[in-house]
Amino acid sequence: MKALFIISGLGILAMLAEIFKFKRALYPLVLIGILAALVANFTEFNNNESIQAFNNMIRFDNVALAFSSVILITAFLWFILANDYFTNETSLTDHFSLVLFALTGALMLTAFSNMTTLFLGIEILSIPLYVLAASKKNDVKSNEAGFKYLIMGSFASAFLLFGIALIYGATGTFDLLAIRAKISEGMPLFFYAGIIMMLIAMCFKVSAAPFHFWAPDVYHGSPTVIMALMSTVVKTAAFVAFMRLFLVGFGSATSVWAMAMAGIIALSLIISNMTAAAQSSVKRMLAYSSISHAAFMLMGILAVNPIYSMRAILYYALAYSVATIGGFTVLYRVEKQSGNTYDDFNGLAKRNPFAALGMLICMLSLAGIPVTAGFFAKYFIFTALIGSTYKWLLVLAVIMSCVGVYYYIKVIIAMYFKKPTHQEPLLIEKSHTLLLAIAVVLVLVLGLLPNFVLSV
Amino acid sequence: MGYSITQWLFGILSFLAIMFALMVVFTRNPINSVLYLVMTFFCIAGHYLLLNAQFLAVVHIVVYAGAIMVLFLFVIMLMNLNQDTEPQKTLMTKLIAGLIGGVFLAVLVGTLKGAEQLSFSQTGASQIGMVKNLGIVLFKDFLFPFEIASVLLLGALVGAIMLGKKEIK
Amino acid sequence: MVKLIGFVPLFPLLGFLINGFFGKKMSKGAVGFIACASILASFVVSLLIFLEVHNSSAQKATVVELFSWINSDTLKIPFSFLVDPLSCLFLLNITGIGFLIHVYSVGYMHDDAGFSRFFTYLNLFVFFMLLLVLGNNYALMYVGWEGVGLCSYLLIGFWFKNDAYNRAANKAFIMNRIGDLGFLLGIILIFMNFGSISFGEVFNKASSVSTGTITAISLFLFIGAMGKSAQLPLYTWLPDAMAGPTPVSALIHAATMVTAGIYMVVRSNIFYSISATASEFVAVVGAVTALFAALIGLLQTDIKKILAYSTVSQLGLMFLALGVGAYSSAVFHVTTHAFFKALLFLGAGSVIHAMGGEQDIRKMGGLKKALPVTFTTMLLGTLAISGVPPFSGFFSKDEILAHTYEHSKLLWLIGSLASLCTAFYMFRLMFITFWGSFRGTHEQEHHLHESPKSMTVPLMVLAALSVVGGLLGLPEFFGASNFMSENLDTVILRKNPSILSHETEWMLMGIAVAVALSTIYFAYQMFVTHKVLPAEKESEMKSFQRVVYHKFYVDELYESMIRKPIDLISEAFYKFFDVQIIDGIVNGIGTVSMWKAGIIRKLQTGHIGFYIMAMTVGALTILFFSLMN
Repeated sequence: MKALFIISGLGILAMLAEIFKFKRALYPLVLIGILAALVANFTEFNNNESIQAFNNMIRFDNVALAFSSVILITAFLWFILANDYFTNETSLTDHFSLVLFALTGALMLTAFSNMTTLFLGIEILSIPLYVLAASKKNDVKSNEAGFKYLIMGSFASAFLLFGIALIYGATGTFDLLAIRAKISEGMPLFFYAGIIMMLIAMCFKVSAAPFHFWAPDVYHGSPTVIMALMSTVVKTAAFVAFMRLFLVGFGSATSVWAMAMAGIIALSLIISNMTAAAQSSVKRMLAYSSISHAAFMLMGILAVNPIYSMRAILYYALAYSVATIGGFTVLYRVEKQSGNTYDDFNGLAKRNPFAALGMLICMLSLAGIPVTAGFFAKYFIFTALIGSTYKWLLVLAVIMSCVGVYYYIKVIIAMYFKKPTHQEPLLIEKSHTLLLAIAVVLVLVLGLLPNFVLSV
Repeated sequence: MGYSITQWLFGILSFLAIMFALMVVFTRNPINSVLYLVMTFFCIAGHYLLLNAQFLAVVHIVVYAGAIMVLFLFVIMLMNLNQDTEPQKTLMTKLIAGLIGGVFLAVLVGTLKGAEQLSFSQTGASQIGMVKNLGIVLFKDFLFPFEIASVLLLGALVGAIMLGKKEIK
Repeated sequence: MVKLIGFVPLFPLLGFLINGFFGKKMSKGAVGFIACASILASFVVSLLIFLEVHNSSAQKATVVELFSWINSDTLKIPFSFLVDPLSCLFLLNITGIGFLIHVYSVGYMHDDAGFSRFFTYLNLFVFFMLLLVLGNNYALMYVGWEGVGLCSYLLIGFWFKNDAYNRAANKAFIMNRIGDLGFLLGIILIFMNFGSISFGEVFNKASSVSTGTITAISLFLFIGAMGKSAQLPLYTWLPDAMAGPTPVSALIHAATMVTAGIYMVVRSNIFYSISATASEFVAVVGAVTALFAALIGLLQTDIKKILAYSTVSQLGLMFLALGVGAYSSAVFHVTTHAFFKALLFLGAGSVIHAMGGEQDIRKMGGLKKALPVTFTTMLLGTLAISGVPPFSGFFSKDEILAHTYEHSKLLWLIGSLASLCTAFYMFRLMFITFWGSFRGTHEQEHHLHESPKSMTVPLMVLAALSVVGGLLGLPEFFGASNFMSENLDTVILRKNPSILSHETEWMLMGIAVAVALSTIYFAYQMFVTHKVLPAEKESEMKSFQRVVYHKFYVDELYESMIRKPIDLISEAFYKFFDVQIIDGIVNGIGTVSMWKAGIIRKLQTGHIGFYIMAMTVGALTILFFSLMN
């Protein structure tokens, strides 16, 4: 709860920085603020006082705290990644406050227990992102990305609202637990239509097929750092929301949505992996790979036991976010130097061995090769799913993760086994080196000691 | 069986609302579109009145029809979009869009069957939309969403300004 | 002592970390010392543990839990090691031979720019291999399994400036992934049926699960083994893997990693004992691979390729042994094979080193005098692999063939043919390389030298082991006890006692020896007596062409009776099967996904209208089907 206040307060503080001229101090302030929020989260952990607040509108229980900590950690790493984005930008304070507001939305999504807070959270998260996607004002692609995101995001919001309205119509309440209690009494058909509408909207937010079309275009058009934000923090937040809504709210109506979700997952897995394999740009490949990881996380929601699901998804979200941030760090530097195709990674091992090693480990983790966190992430999802009726999905996922290995390995091959197309060494500034080191260490530590996260 | 006056009004308002909404989509001149949208909003405000939610009705007219639509009009006129610049869609596109929309509508209408079984307790229902009750609900039960909505508005505001202001070199 | 098992993998890991982080700043001597010392330390610990396990009469298997690794409600996987005779034996193999090869590499890689990188990878490899062998559950084994695959990939492509080498590395990686997929599915099946993946629990419950399930599990696991241990049809990566530095070929692609598949099957022997179908399949695949690879080996001219095909063939023999239920014989052969194959590879490395990188045996010849140590040690290794008594290979191979004979005469025949070919091509390699006269350039001849001490000493140690290694598993009727099968007694959960009479065993042994010796004599006639014609010595520059020429007409018998038919078969197998079908399948996976991707990518048109339409159709479909129910 405190974290939410700290982050939204920081957002407002950022707006004041322009007027009171402490722009320089803003960056360290934000970093400290995020750390403070993280500490606040830890103090609230297992501390029952703060569970229920504001008439059960929002509920920072342990699950919420765990996920919001994941989001805060990722955000912290992201701010390090984006440091020069913020120094070069002219409307610096606006960017800060937009990102922080989006973060506020993300935190709300980890803890909502009412449809109104869900909707507000999603909008608070999305609206700043529409703007951030379009933030390169002179770049047509960036403008297009923002516009597309806005239009399609509004479309999805309409589905969400319609779903909420139908559910409210049937139950007369917005409260998730109250809805859950009512489901057992038997509901009219349009209640289930409401659930499906919300499923569709949430699938859009996590970019699962066939509602994923916006993602590659928007990701590709947005500035790289914003894409990093979208595919980590935003994705995690959308996931937690998805999980809370469907496991807590509609958990007893699985027969309605589970089959649909299995279909969505299968379609996402096939489309994203197949398309990612055909990309020549690493940035676009990562866009599709984020869809594929979304599908993997969705599989966790299908598992029979909500506790396993939650743990599996928590671990997956953390493992995925950290490895993605690490990957983006290298991509960001490479892109600045030359471009974002596979060829631009050629011979990176010679041009900057450390960056290549970091990228190697992050890619291996995303591919799910053992000892890295990514392996256990997939492993937990798979084991969580074993007891369910969707074993065919498991087989498909295993096969598709092999296709995944193909395109992640392509990056590694380019870095280690190809002659450099650009001879000059790739320079990485200290903060990014540090960030990459943190990401790599986290990936390996999570892989070696997965228990640490699971004990939550 | 005779219909009460409320039911007559509901029927007429609904018919008008749907008709104006269709006109918004089908008119090719942007200004006419906006004007039809204003009409649609008025009809919906009428529905709010029928539900005894005066506050909502007034706010709806003031904010949507009054402020937002006027803004739309200004933008359209200032940018001189007052022509039929929208490219003609092919027949195929129209057909497919119509078909999909139609089926979607049919499915949704289909799901509404069984809705009449529901019954809610009517206590206080007639007064629920009044300003006083709304205020109590908003500042007591829904205090958190009400306050956090300010962050949403702030975010939208900052975003709009950021996109709108000139790049300082 | 057993409690100290954690140190065994810890030392190589430390070596890896130190060399990985500070290798570039340290001198080559320091890097080499750290790498070798870390392996030696873990060898010493392994040896002590082995002796303790072997001498303790009561409890042979100890589980040492280091820490709780994964602990969710469905699944508890401790990070625990299983110390029993089987894992101890593999530990000794890995660390012992690993140490010798590390020492050898210090000499071999001395002038390479990637010296510290090489030892970093090598130490990491040893760490993962130890993890694979020590793990007390399938998950830990899988971690090691993937880890060694990764190291092998990095080491095959070690000289990454060469495109062909990179392709080889990719091929190895992809083929192994196909196998790993099978392994993973096997693990998932095990977990689904037993609710656990710890060896002890799974094996205790094995008989309570239906045979069909066991068969499925064993077949999936075997697919994993096929990939890692280069069995038909997933073997082609191994010959290509020779692109890596020679010590890598010796350590990873001959002595240790490729035997991981054998280890896994032996470890899971209870499954294969229950499922006759799976065992039969393993036996057939093993036998066919053994013969098939040996036939291809007959015609290769690259010294490392010959050894690579011979490795595939020997692995086939081991799987044959596993298939017929002779688990301890397979492990015995793994051990002796590790000795002599490591020796042969290192010897080949020494030859290549002396020849300045030349790998084609047609351009060598007469190296006997210039490389006396290499020659002597390699000769011992060749005698061992060819199954000449009393060298180690004789005993292990004989044991396998005896068990096979008991099981099926046809498989025995295939196995014997494979060993016949083995004896032939190994001596062909020896005779062409070391006998006759030198056929390389003057410069090379001038350059010829015996390798430094750091390379020859490991050769000598390995040669000694290859000679006496057979003592580990003397047949019972020799009066001595069979150390190997007694040692593994507790690991093999279901045994089928030998029913062969001693007379039959003597007969089989006699046949084997006779076949081996006559083949060697035959090869000698062909390559030494007939080939070294005085005419060839006149001009060394032209000799290369002459050798090829003579090879084709001097020995008419060879030409008409053996060479031509085998040439055809071998060539056909190599060209058609190997290149077309198997490479085709491997490349096909990529092509199919690219092709599909092309179609799907076209959907990403960029038009919002289309996207929204697609979304609506999707929403409609989902709504419709969900609400129908």
